[in-house]
Amino acid sequence: MKKILIAASAALMVASCGDLTSLNQNTKAPETVPAGTLVANATVSMMDYLSTVNVNVNNFTLWSQHWTQTTYVDESNFDYNNRDVNGNTYDAMYATVLRDLSDAKAIINADEQLDAATKAQQLAVIDILEVYAYSTLVDVFGDVPYSEAIGESLAPAYDGAAAIYGDLGTRVFASHAVFMAGSDNGLGSYDLLYGGSSAGWAKFAASLGLRLSIRMADVSPTDAQAAAEAAIGAGVITLASESAALNYTSSPPHTNPYWDALVQSGRKDFIAANTIADVMNMYADPRRSAYFKNLSNDSVIGAAYGLQSSYNLHSQPGTALENASRPAMFLDNVEVGFLLADAASRGWSVGGLTAASLYDAAVAESILAWGGTATDAATYLAQTGVTYDAANWKTILGTQKWLAMYSRGNEAWSTQRMYDAPAMNIADAAQRVTPLRMSYGIDEYSLNTSNVEAARGGNDDDTSPIFWDVN
Amino acid sequence: MATVFSFGAFAQNGGETGEVETNNLGIDKLEEVVVTALGISREKKTVGYAVQEVAGDEVTRAKADNFMASLSGKIAGVNVTQSGTMGGSANVVIRGYKSLTGNNQALFVVDGIPISNQITNTGNQRTGRGGYDYGNAAMDINPEDIAKVTVLKGAAATALYGSRASNGVILITTKKGTKRDGLGVSITYGVQRGTIDPNTYVKYQKEFGAGYGPYYGPDTLNGYFTDAKIVAYDVDGDGILDPTIPTTEDASFGLRFDPNYDVYTWESLYPELATYGVAQPHVAPDTDGSDFYQESVTTNKSVSIDGGSDMGSFRVGMTQYDTKGIAPGSEMQRNNFSFNGSLNASDKLTVTTTANFIQQAAKGRNGTGYDSKNPNQSFRQWWNVGVDVNKLRQYYEQTGKNITWNPYGYGSGSSTLKPIYFDNAYFSAYENYQNDSRNRLIGNVAATYEINDWLSVLARASVDTYSEMQEERVAVTSVDVSRYGRKNRSFTESNLDLVLTANKQLTDDISFNGNLGANSRRTSVDYISAATNGGLVVPGVYALSNSASTPDAPYESAYTIGVDGFFARASVGYKNFLYVDLTGRQDKSSTLPAANNTYFYPSATLSLIFSELIDVDAISFGKLRFNTAQVGSDAPAQALLNSYNMGTAFGSTSLASAPSTDNNANLLPEVTNSTEVGVEMMFFNNRVGLDVSLYDQTSSNQIMPTKVSSSTGSIYKYVNAGVINNKGIELSLSATPVRTDDFEWNMNLNWTKNTNMVESLYGDLESLQLASVQGGITIEARPGQAYGNIYGVANVYDDAGRRVVYDMPGSYGGVRYLRGDADVIGNINPDWMAGFNNSFRYKNFTASALLDMRMGGNFFSLDTYYGFGTGIYDITAGTNDLGNSVRDLAADGGGVKVTDVAYWDGATVDADGNPSGFVAGDYYADMHYYGNAFGWARAPKDLHVYDASYLKLREVSLSYSVPSDMIASYGIQGLDIGLSGRNLAILWKNAPYTDPEAGLSAGNIQGYQSGAYPAVRQIGWNVNIKF
Repeated sequence: MKKILIAASAALMVASCGDLTSLNQNTKAPETVPAGTLVANATVSMMDYLSTVNVNVNNFTLWSQHWTQTTYVDESNFDYNNRDVNGNTYDAMYATVLRDLSDAKAIINADEQLDAATKAQQLAVIDILEVYAYSTLVDVFGDVPYSEAIGESLAPAYDGAAAIYGDLGTRVFASHAVFMAGSDNGLGSYDLLYGGSSAGWAKFAASLGLRLSIRMADVSPTDAQAAAEAAIGAGVITLASESAALNYTSSPPHTNPYWDALVQSGRKDFIAANTIADVMNMYADPRRSAYFKNLSNDSVIGAAYGLQSSYNLHSQPGTALENASRPAMFLDNVEVGFLLADAASRGWSVGGLTAASLYDAAVAESILAWGGTATDAATYLAQTGVTYDAANWKTILGTQKWLAMYSRGNEAWSTQRMYDAPAMNIADAAQRVTPLRMSYGIDEYSLNTSNVEAARGGNDDDTSPIFWDVN
Repeated sequence: MATVFSFGAFAQNGGETGEVETNNLGIDKLEEVVVTALGISREKKTVGYAVQEVAGDEVTRAKADNFMASLSGKIAGVNVTQSGTMGGSANVVIRGYKSLTGNNQALFVVDGIPISNQITNTGNQRTGRGGYDYGNAAMDINPEDIAKVTVLKGAAATALYGSRASNGVILITTKKGTKRDGLGVSITYGVQRGTIDPNTYVKYQKEFGAGYGPYYGPDTLNGYFTDAKIVAYDVDGDGILDPTIPTTEDASFGLRFDPNYDVYTWESLYPELATYGVAQPHVAPDTDGSDFYQESVTTNKSVSIDGGSDMGSFRVGMTQYDTKGIAPGSEMQRNNFSFNGSLNASDKLTVTTTANFIQQAAKGRNGTGYDSKNPNQSFRQWWNVGVDVNKLRQYYEQTGKNITWNPYGYGSGSSTLKPIYFDNAYFSAYENYQNDSRNRLIGNVAATYEINDWLSVLARASVDTYSEMQEERVAVTSVDVSRYGRKNRSFTESNLDLVLTANKQLTDDISFNGNLGANSRRTSVDYISAATNGGLVVPGVYALSNSASTPDAPYESAYTIGVDGFFARASVGYKNFLYVDLTGRQDKSSTLPAANNTYFYPSATLSLIFSELIDVDAISFGKLRFNTAQVGSDAPAQALLNSYNMGTAFGSTSLASAPSTDNNANLLPEVTNSTEVGVEMMFFNNRVGLDVSLYDQTSSNQIMPTKVSSSTGSIYKYVNAGVINNKGIELSLSATPVRTDDFEWNMNLNWTKNTNMVESLYGDLESLQLASVQGGITIEARPGQAYGNIYGVANVYDDAGRRVVYDMPGSYGGVRYLRGDADVIGNINPDWMAGFNNSFRYKNFTASALLDMRMGGNFFSLDTYYGFGTGIYDITAGTNDLGNSVRDLAADGGGVKVTDVAYWDGATVDADGNPSGFVAGDYYADMHYYGNAFGWARAPKDLHVYDASYLKLREVSLSYSVPSDMIASYGIQGLDIGLSGRNLAILWKNAPYTDPEAGLSAGNIQGYQSGAYPAVRQIGWNVNIKF
């Protein structure tokens, strides 16, 4: 009996060992990380979103009618609810990009080892990335959660699109001032766009300020002019080497998403839309062989937009896109060139340069960027319909910028909405042209109901334009 | 006859030997003993909650490869559904879904050892995005070793198990050695063969070939070319364009078959084939997707030896179970080795041990969901009905290559043919195969010491440990990027128990028994998975080092859960008719914050045997039972503090990302409250029995990652919230209409109705998404509604409930269903379930048949959602009531007739702007291309929501015991020969083309079919011989 009791007590003592709580620790994932890892991840994730042609995430290469689909034409016909593209946009931008930036900000703010000047530089970098992310969201949806987003609230209120844009503009210029006061943000290789250079970020900030200003040119021209001229004066991106570019790596997973879709996954879902084919063929565009392959006597064979069409019988996305490490642009000298040309066309001050010369330079830069020559550009620009025409500048500039924004779906779509050029074709099955915005996702209606219902005065129609799209 | 155990003894403590015989009715004889929580055996009449048992031979009679499936229809209150793949998981939910996002699977306990029933299927697999159903871990249990299965349904019955038993417990008592002269030897051999039930598969149209519609222009030639339904391409290289079937098209809205018209097909494109460059008549093939499936063969061999004496007893068993599945290349093997021994070390000390060693291996499991490795994705959804499946096999066998019906590459300047969407299904089955294995040890060592005649103590250590490996492959030349991935997981759970048991008659009228115990549990899982990146360098070499690009860092996870508990139980009996039980348990869990990690929960039960108090001849036995209980539950591991995900570096830049689920450092324990009342009665000398239970169970303060607006920065957030209620009725009726020496007829009916209600979620949250699945469907929990609503864009209906149709404008116009807003379009829960068994014994023959029925509940079918849009099902062809082809335009008298619908003119609206002015009637909808009224492009989702009801002939068996006088002279003590059938027929169902029971995986995501496998009818025989 005693032996038994001793044995039993010993067994019990073996059993009841130690502190239970410590068992719950996650030994395989850190509770804190260097802020730079989050900034870098946010940068990559944002560009992945902007560059993907995965139909679940981003349909804007279709919506801008550069491409159309072969067999499954739902997204070309603007069915984005079925795959929750709108919800996936929120997930990508808020839960990854903006969340990582927010956490990075908190880690930097709490870092007592970091000197105040470097801290300010890093926070300004984060600020510019946040401005970029929010302006992208506004351009897609209009009103979105902003002031209460990524915080304590489980039901963040929606802010007015115009008010968000106003605040983003203020932030851009405030950050620009910070960059001008510094030289190195200390992020080093975590800064995937400028390798730590504050001068680089200053150019990006000014250029982003210019983009936002031009976007508002039709809705509040006076403020837009002041902001645009300030941005131009602050020093925008003028050289390709100054562009805010993400240099994708040559091996998965951080490869250019166009390569992922066209080469790695090997799907044959996309072909040239007749919309872009018609414009390019009309002016014998020198970029045709870069943008597309399977040409017919140098002509792009476009398929009727939104209509099921054969892959083999039409032109297909070009070999230029079949490059895993092709850099992808947040903002580049080509886009800035068009922004400057727009400003000059409106009569705003652009360092004394004329609208026509700025426009010519922008078009030429685009052609050079896609492998063309200065001669190609000159020949191209000499044609009526391409040559700058002050009387018809919005159509001409808009069409050329829309062409130049090839492989940048969001910006191509925004450009088309801004200038209403070129005219969009009616999608075959949807029987309508490209929507002017995207409606909110189903998750917002079930999870943030009262706020989303109040957004945009209750008008969630995707034919209702964004605040800056007034003309 | 049942052996009567002493109160408070433990089933596995060696004091008892022998198998407990029960009838299969769950209504036991007066002195029946049942096993209750912690293996405590008690007289059934004293127990104040529902307990139902199934005898071991009930589980083995008509074998299922997952033994859990053979519980279906046999126990009231237990909902068993099988996902339908070889070795796939079975969903076992007792008394409804209680946890909004957590585990709802019953706990399995074998001889007192809680065993892992982990379902390691990935999130993608469970939501239909591809992957394999690796089954549940508890299916390792060998049915041949089962003496009986006892089901404890309510919280009061399971409270002593603590936290994780709130979903009910399935207690398995294994066979033990018996006291006997010499050794007993039992040998069993059986074979089962299975074929698919054609009633659960696609019925293909046989009139039209590949294509999506008439747009394969330009119209370069005349005749068939002018309608642009086939492609013009110079296949034979003679410089003249040939009529070619568009092989890139995985739909069947193409050219009408015509034996007098020769076309070039996929078979004309491959230089390896004799048909290269040859045109063949455009005809429907001899074989279709259903011919892909072969006969399955399952063989089981089992040997056991047992013996016993005054010193103790033992049983050792070995079972080998081999399966060749219905899918080509699929096979599975399981070996179980078991040992059970008990030693009476002294007159007071008994030492017992059990050990089960299990080896399980599979190869070529069935790919599931929307994935190229599931042949049904193509056969049910995206298919050219002009393809002869037998030729796919022939060409694969001939060349070993991925000769697919769905190549691209011709006519585009490239000479290399590649699959555009689908691989050759045989190539995929044999080359893109997976394999997995699991080695597992379940065992315990226990000692029971009789301190005196009323007090004993038990100490027990038990362990369930396994390591498993899963390897998955995609071969070079497949449609998917070639890949090799492997996962290794090790699992260990140990339990230490110390239990003091008292059993004393306090006075003549008052008896007492009780326990005082402690339990310490540690569960740990260590997992690593790794995969190649960017393809494979050398074809056919499946190693991480064969990665085309540098592989990502392997994914690792490791966690440990510790729960220490103390418990007590006291049972007082008064004069053999009134029994009162009280229990209490306090747990301390590692998964909760230190300040809130200890929680206590009680239960009380009462059993009143009123038949002792009244004297009515017809009533042989009558008992009322009542109980109320609370069970506390802890959180999942590592749900308190946030940690970052380290990503694959971008070049040399490290990346980290915040988690998508926001953890919560202030979680509290979950609470489940339940009450149950029941009555058990036997009539007419125990010839008729009745057992009714009513229960009401509410789980609140649930710990769950609730979906939040992603604008919060998280997609999910862990909270304590949510109340879910289950109320139900369980009814068991049994009768023995005939009982003579030679003939006996027993019947037994189980009926269950559970009503589930989500009472609240987090804050004002209106919906909790359980899953978002392809097809724009979500499975949700919404306050005021049952758990598991299927939610999606619904049809607009008129006031009489007719579907509204309208004429869609545009070049492909015509009648379409009018889509409205997203709404509730179904629910996963059945209204009621029933099982009805009849068994007959005539002399040495025994026959039985089990009907298993489910009424109500729904599922969404991605199969018809896509398949109606690709024109492969029979309804997309044929003639309508006007005698015209449905493929003709409705304007020309064709189209599919849609009856009893309401037509909207497309313009009239009511004061609120909603469509109105409907005209009821019958209309014709075009069926000429993919964007027809019925397929995914245009159909409202509720058109593809089906009634999941069924009535199945689940099991049939016939056995013959050779009379002992015929065999005794050969030294044989028993010889049984049996025939059995399983899933022989679905006698009634409303869902076409499929088995309404089919799903993806066990778990909370039900009500969704994507690439569903057909049901398998199994017929087998077995022989058992005892020496």
